[in-house]
Amino acid sequence: MTKMTVLEALNAAMAHELEHDPDVVLLGEDIGIAGGIFRTTQGLQNRFGKDRVIDTPLDEKGIAAHAVGMALYGMKPVVEIQFSGFIHDCIEQVMFCGAKYRWVLGGEYSVPMTIRAPSFGGIMGGIWHSHSPESYFAHGSGIKIIAPNTPQDAYSMLIAAIRDPDPVLVLEPVPLYRTLRGEVDVDLPVPEIGKAEIKRPGADVTALVYGPLTHKTVEVAESLSKEKNIDVEVIDLKSLIPFDIDTIISSVEKTGKLVIIHEASQTMGFGAEIAASVQSKAFGYLEAPIDRVCAPDVPHSYRVGDEFYIPNKDRIRAGIIKTMEAVY
Amino acid sequence: MSTQTDKKFTGNPREPVPVPLSRANELDIRQVLDSEGNVNGNISDPNLSEEEMRKFYEMMMLVRAIDDRGWKLQRSGRIAFWIPILGQEAVQVAVTCALDDHDWIFRAHRELAVWLLRGNSLEMMFAQFYGAEQEPLRGRRLPCLIGSRDINLISSTTQVGASLPHAVGAAWAAKLKGGKEKVLIFFGDGSASRGEFHSAMNFAGIHQPPVIMVCVNNGWAVTTPLDRQTAVDNFASKGDSYGVRNVRVDGNDPLALYTVTKDAHDNIEKYGPTLIEAVTFRLGYHTSSDNPDLYRHEQECELWRPWDPIRRTRLYMENKGWWDQSKEDALITLHQDEIQTAVTSAEAMDIPGPASQFDDVFAETNWMLEEQKARILSEVSEGSSDD
Repeated sequence: MTKMTVLEALNAAMAHELEHDPDVVLLGEDIGIAGGIFRTTQGLQNRFGKDRVIDTPLDEKGIAAHAVGMALYGMKPVVEIQFSGFIHDCIEQVMFCGAKYRWVLGGEYSVPMTIRAPSFGGIMGGIWHSHSPESYFAHGSGIKIIAPNTPQDAYSMLIAAIRDPDPVLVLEPVPLYRTLRGEVDVDLPVPEIGKAEIKRPGADVTALVYGPLTHKTVEVAESLSKEKNIDVEVIDLKSLIPFDIDTIISSVEKTGKLVIIHEASQTMGFGAEIAASVQSKAFGYLEAPIDRVCAPDVPHSYRVGDEFYIPNKDRIRAGIIKTMEAVY
Repeated sequence: MSTQTDKKFTGNPREPVPVPLSRANELDIRQVLDSEGNVNGNISDPNLSEEEMRKFYEMMMLVRAIDDRGWKLQRSGRIAFWIPILGQEAVQVAVTCALDDHDWIFRAHRELAVWLLRGNSLEMMFAQFYGAEQEPLRGRRLPCLIGSRDINLISSTTQVGASLPHAVGAAWAAKLKGGKEKVLIFFGDGSASRGEFHSAMNFAGIHQPPVIMVCVNNGWAVTTPLDRQTAVDNFASKGDSYGVRNVRVDGNDPLALYTVTKDAHDNIEKYGPTLIEAVTFRLGYHTSSDNPDLYRHEQECELWRPWDPIRRTRLYMENKGWWDQSKEDALITLHQDEIQTAVTSAEAMDIPGPASQFDDVFAETNWMLEEQKARILSEVSEGSSDD
């Protein structure tokens, strides 16, 4: 066991895969000498060379597109998009080429590429540095989407993504990169993509969350337990495509109440899909309307976005209390 | 072949522009044959053997016969769509023959010849037109978009040009992994306007992977002529901006095409990537959903007819004493018989069932897909009830 920040865990995961699999290459803007603008890949080009850790032109679509071609040939490219606010230029290449090639080519080829997308708000980054792009990628087929938010998950789930035979989008928790440090056991088995984790067991209400907000939600749950005697079960979704329906349904059958929390804007956010699935599978267990605590349908403001756009602890708390009070 | 081109002017097309192939020297277009099949060009005759020339000619003839039949199958409602090839047979045949079989080819929309030149069957080609379960793409792609891993032929993305960086990326990966394969991609003049053209040329210039990019400039991107696609008068020179070697070639001259492609292929370690602009002309419709009467004057097609690649090749072979009318008649009969057999075979094949569309979304399925599949299978019978 070693203590690492999220950033160090991601770096260690890439180093491990570069060392053990000659087909793994990293591509991105400024990832070589500097190690990327966040320093996630720091030291890797010196260690593995310029043919394995490749500085690319400033062309997000081009990076993703060339990675698709490399993956078709049999390599395992790991693409860094500098900020997920810049990822939308890649949507056609990732969603309508990379994620579709296995199917359109009759199952004869695969595209084992990983797209690392530094995501989420919390660094006073304004609209294009605070983005949650998951819904654009979830509304398609052929790509998996994961959102690790601890050093251990960052390490293990990035390795799982790199080894996966299909494209995987990794939503990396930018605000936790350097602020969260924790134990990483590099010998743990590589996890299956698609499993959620119960972060805090509880009996009264289920709070479903992913990304950096998971930590805030656990804090809210602890305070609600002490102050209002509300026992919140917090589930960290961890994987959006596919998502762990069994863990969610078991929890809702127990609590009868569900609050979904995410920092992407509300309309067509991923919470809508979860809510639709839960009502169709556990309608008889629901004691209150499913609530969503999300960002509003406005862009993320530089000055106040981190406080009022991303759900803060007040809003998460209010959503849970409202759901508790709404029992039929 | 008259079906695709016999049309009356109904729209408001531009004035026909002269055939650039008639000014090959002035326009820096590599050429071996003149319009009458004489060796009279600016590069020398590669002096292919009679056997090799017959292969070129017979394949171009077969492609034209397939094109004619495919068009009729679409017009009679037996298949849903067709992408005509008429007038562009030389590029796909000569370029493919200049490569090794292990080289990867990324297609555009009209390259049916690759399939046959690399040994796949006419029966399975027609199976693809009919969307049969047995063909490699399992009925998922529109007619003509054939491809198969066994011959290193990758079916096109329908977003034209989007696969240009895939070819460059695959070539780059081959270089990094020490593979022997080179990669070639066909794309159209319209594709050169997309961002991926820029991305692919830029990355290719920097990393020098073993890739050949063949711009099949057929004069028209659906209804849009060249002067509305780009302000410069050729596509090859765009390579200069990226440090990519480039060459213009007569796209209706199989001897020039073969020479230029073979040179780019065999010297790829010296040259790096090459952008080849093959200057040709789409005599037919863009697709079966098109109507050139609205935007193109028939007179423009008439100007190109003497430059028809099959006509020029036949004249060349007749001059050599390698071809005559009796051989021509026998070949046409043979092709008609082979095509009829393939049509009959394809019409007897199975169409994919509703479950097969769920295969290959991922390497392994997941509960979300399985749940959707189970529901659809429980609610529908084989075959649509909406007919």
